[in-house]
Amino acid sequence: MDNILSVLVFLPALAGLLGFVVNKESARAYGITVAAIEFLLSLWLWVSFDTNNAGMQFVELIPLIPDFGVSYYLGVDGISLFLVVMTTLMTLIGIASMSITENVKNMVVTLLFLEMTMVGVFVALDAIVFYLFWELSLVPMLYIVGAWGGPLRVYAAIKFFLYTFMGSLVMLVGMLFVAYIYHNVTGVWSFAITDWYALVLPIDYQLWLFAAFFLGFAIKVPMFPFHTWLPYAHGQAPTIGSVILAAVLLKMGTYGFVRFSLPMFPDASVMMITPIAVLSIIMVIYTAMVAYAQKDMKQVIAYSSVSHMGIIMIGMFAMNAEGISGSVFQMLSHGIVSGALFMLVGVIYDRRHTKLMSEFGGLAAIMPKYALIFGIMLMASVGLPLTIGFVGEFLVLVGFYEVSPVMTILAGTSIIVGAVYMLSVYKKSFFGPVTKEENKTLKDLTPKELWSFIPLVAIVVWLGVYPKPVLQPIDNSVKAMLAFMDEKAITQEAKDIIKVPHVSAHAREVK
Amino acid sequence: MEKLVYIALFAPLVSSLFAALFGMMPKKQFVGVVTSILLGISFVASAILAHYVYTTEEAIKVTLMDWIGAGDLHIPFGFVVDQVSVTMMTVVTLVSTVVHVYSNGYMDHDKSFNRFFSYLSAFVFSMMVLVMSDNFAGLFIGWEGVGVCSWLLIGFWYHKPDVSREENPSISPSWAANEAFIMNRIADLGMLVGLFIVYWNTGSLQYDEVFAQLPHLSGSVLNAAALALFIGAMGKSAQFPLHTWLTDAMEGPTPVSALIHAATMVTAGVFLVIRANPLFSMTPEISYFIAVLGTFVAFFAASMALVNRDLKRIIAFSTLSQLGYMFAAAGLGAYWIALFHLAAHAFFKALLFLGAGNVMHAMDDELDIFKMGGLKKVMKWTYLYMGLASLALAGIPPFAGFFSKDAIIETAFNEGTYILWAILVVTAGMTAFYSFRQVFLTFEGDERYKKYGFHPHEVYRYVLIAMSPLAILAVIAGFFKGSFEAFVTELLPEYHMSEHTHHLAWLLGLVVLAFAVGGIVLAYKKYAKGLKRDEALEATWYYKLLANQYYIPNLYEEFISKPYAMISDIFWNRVDMKIVDATVDGIAKFLYGTGDGARRMQTGNLSNYLNWMAVGAVLLLAVAAISAAIIG
Repeated sequence: MDNILSVLVFLPALAGLLGFVVNKESARAYGITVAAIEFLLSLWLWVSFDTNNAGMQFVELIPLIPDFGVSYYLGVDGISLFLVVMTTLMTLIGIASMSITENVKNMVVTLLFLEMTMVGVFVALDAIVFYLFWELSLVPMLYIVGAWGGPLRVYAAIKFFLYTFMGSLVMLVGMLFVAYIYHNVTGVWSFAITDWYALVLPIDYQLWLFAAFFLGFAIKVPMFPFHTWLPYAHGQAPTIGSVILAAVLLKMGTYGFVRFSLPMFPDASVMMITPIAVLSIIMVIYTAMVAYAQKDMKQVIAYSSVSHMGIIMIGMFAMNAEGISGSVFQMLSHGIVSGALFMLVGVIYDRRHTKLMSEFGGLAAIMPKYALIFGIMLMASVGLPLTIGFVGEFLVLVGFYEVSPVMTILAGTSIIVGAVYMLSVYKKSFFGPVTKEENKTLKDLTPKELWSFIPLVAIVVWLGVYPKPVLQPIDNSVKAMLAFMDEKAITQEAKDIIKVPHVSAHAREVK
Repeated sequence: MEKLVYIALFAPLVSSLFAALFGMMPKKQFVGVVTSILLGISFVASAILAHYVYTTEEAIKVTLMDWIGAGDLHIPFGFVVDQVSVTMMTVVTLVSTVVHVYSNGYMDHDKSFNRFFSYLSAFVFSMMVLVMSDNFAGLFIGWEGVGVCSWLLIGFWYHKPDVSREENPSISPSWAANEAFIMNRIADLGMLVGLFIVYWNTGSLQYDEVFAQLPHLSGSVLNAAALALFIGAMGKSAQFPLHTWLTDAMEGPTPVSALIHAATMVTAGVFLVIRANPLFSMTPEISYFIAVLGTFVAFFAASMALVNRDLKRIIAFSTLSQLGYMFAAAGLGAYWIALFHLAAHAFFKALLFLGAGNVMHAMDDELDIFKMGGLKKVMKWTYLYMGLASLALAGIPPFAGFFSKDAIIETAFNEGTYILWAILVVTAGMTAFYSFRQVFLTFEGDERYKKYGFHPHEVYRYVLIAMSPLAILAVIAGFFKGSFEAFVTELLPEYHMSEHTHHLAWLLGLVVLAFAVGGIVLAYKKYAKGLKRDEALEATWYYKLLANQYYIPNLYEEFISKPYAMISDIFWNRVDMKIVDATVDGIAKFLYGTGDGARRMQTGNLSNYLNWMAVGAVLLLAVAAISAAIIG
């Protein structure tokens, strides 16, 4: 299948269109089937992916507007491959575990359309195509929050939309400017990211462009102080919306940094290490403390999500393979774990129609399976070794230690403050005596719920014990990117800080 | 031999998973039996390995598979069975097996019987990973693994509500579990930093590669690495100021206290210092700091045990104190003596805790020793066991503690650190006093429990039999000091007393013994005939200070927990909502407001438009004129 990427992008959208004619009762089964096919296709992509090739694979290139160098240009490397797989997985599990009863058909169609935009963002290699998918992804999410959300849904949806949209517009200006420079230098127009990589830009251009892209990505991540749309969006969104938002949509921001900012502006990236690290540390500590102050379980998870994104951000700017590979791995880990945590909050919300922790207490005795799975995800979230959460966090901190020990220690407080709010949630909700009469008769996980969690638990343990199948392709592509950044950097400072790894004994053995 | 290594390591994991299969079901007796047998298998495998290492004098190294690989960092799941790890393996699996069998009786009526065994075996697996790993990252897996199991087991009776006590602002099993986890996490950050320093300076986390690189590193790097790793050790081994979790951990079931919070997990910090002895030998300042802190904790913890009334907390304080002794030895360079005390202590302290468990079982979970007394009539065997363990703890010859603790005190003298020596000697006296205060108050004197309506009874016979290996070892372990030294010093640095110390050894031993016997005699005089409360003494400030654990739990509550919650709240309500988010909304409102304002210009009235046009034209002219003036 040469066009596997196109199939992956457009299958959900086409199926979504067809979904309008499916009758209401079977909409859900239809959605699950499509998402499952999509997921299997993404697995096929992984299986046929050449893990020793660090470059772009499954490339598709069709000129769209040749005069302006806009083409339909897709490809995946080790960095984007797993984000695609995670997207299809989380969409499948999201649809399968969905508890929505109103307008199920519309929801399924929306989700499939959303899946197209998400996969599209991760596989696009043309800036215009990337931008199209990037902005299109806002629409389904706007609809999900606005139509199925809580009482403040309109405010939350509009805030989400306008805030991220504004950032993206600045990013678009940046993109147009890069293309303009490219035209000035080479005489031809091109929006292909791989062409842009070859562009060596002067420092001041790099800094301005870095800032333009930063605004777009940072709001999406969301980095402090651009994060306040997120608690509203999560607070109002239905469970499925939060799952997709936390698991996949936020990753678009961090993915943008790896795909655009680092390789295109290596010198500016190196100069921005300290400011970004400071913001990331604020994200880690400050949002963790805000999370601790929350009374609503879902808000804790929402803020914890921001806190963990801080770890991803700081790792990306470690400028060595340990940190960046760890950061990309942490994107996957965060996707699985925070997605699962939002699903878990959804389980109790469906039963009690409240998310306030003071309403619970002693749930471990009444819902042992639920408590067990929550406990496993909690441990993955606080980065327990042999769960998926440890690998990325450890690598990020190892990596950044080379840049700055002091800032690493500050970011490393993540393992403490993270434990503080997570354990406090667990204690308030699951431990202690059962005080509320309504809680005494709660049903434990239904088979449907249980089977949506089991794959996630399996992945959490599997990639915690044996991350190699995922980590190695990521690491290969990251190493290639670092070598390329080092070569391209124009300042000595950047060349010193960007660390090109030796070809290790391990990699040789693989070859 | 490789197979045996895996059997020793994975039998507890299999045991845990097996028990987990029945975790949510009502009690199944066979779960307790099967897990105990699997632990026994692990013990036998460890013992055979110990014999193998002893006879061949070579270490066994196995690598299971790769774990993490990124950049230049490659971490395998590798395990090493050498003199140090095999000692730990044997001690851990032996105590674990005993505790598993014991728990069959102790947890008899608990509805979460199966779940308990699952956690307990998972703990043993983590502990085995911790001691067997051949690299720092693997050690960290075990390190965090035992932390989680400890969290699960301290909070095992999670349904109990929070209560307030005089010395604890708030306490419950789940509270204590969280406290233990979070305090350990604080120390773990230090440990992680230690790993980072090691990795970036030696390019590896494998013990042998790291230790081979050490001579090439600068003093400051070595000091930083040693200090960071020791901070990690301080958390697990509950050294001051991270010690409060250990006594609160007594909220957990007693077999857990015996296994985790006395014999094995809390010694992990000491084990780390012993394992990384090539590093600590090269950092004399850090090592001296370890010895001083250890000595301080030995005294500090013993002082709090003097007045405590809680059966388990007294033993917990004594554990803290003995960990201090071990650190003192390790810090002074006598690594093998530290390891010897670790092993001996594991036996008699586990025995003491299990004995305390018998008492609790008999007394319907009552812990106040002031409400006990005279239990020797109904609990002969438990009295015997606890008496033996206390004699060993007090350091009375020929019991195990005499040989190991005496060696530590002698080391302090030998190093010329006379102040440390003096403190350790006094602490030995205090140890004897509080141990026997507890024993006498529990078993001798008037039967105060009758007043409270308890009907104590001895535990099952098989439980008593299961405890017997520990009792025997508490008695005889000391006799193997010579062969133990020969065995472990093949790997650990040798430590010999100087000629001078050697001559004085008998005198030094006599001094310590005098203090120990003095402590016991004092305890006998005061408490053996019954409890006579001295209210004047209890009202003094120093008695209150000790009884309230120097007010440290209260201080932590007032100056750490509460401010943290308060600042968190301010961050949320004041900063996040009122500043960050309000700014965003403010910008949005401003844009909306200006748009709304501008809308009013669109009146549809032609003369209005002409007015605006005139204003615009004038403005443009003004701008043109000014810019012309500036440029021209």
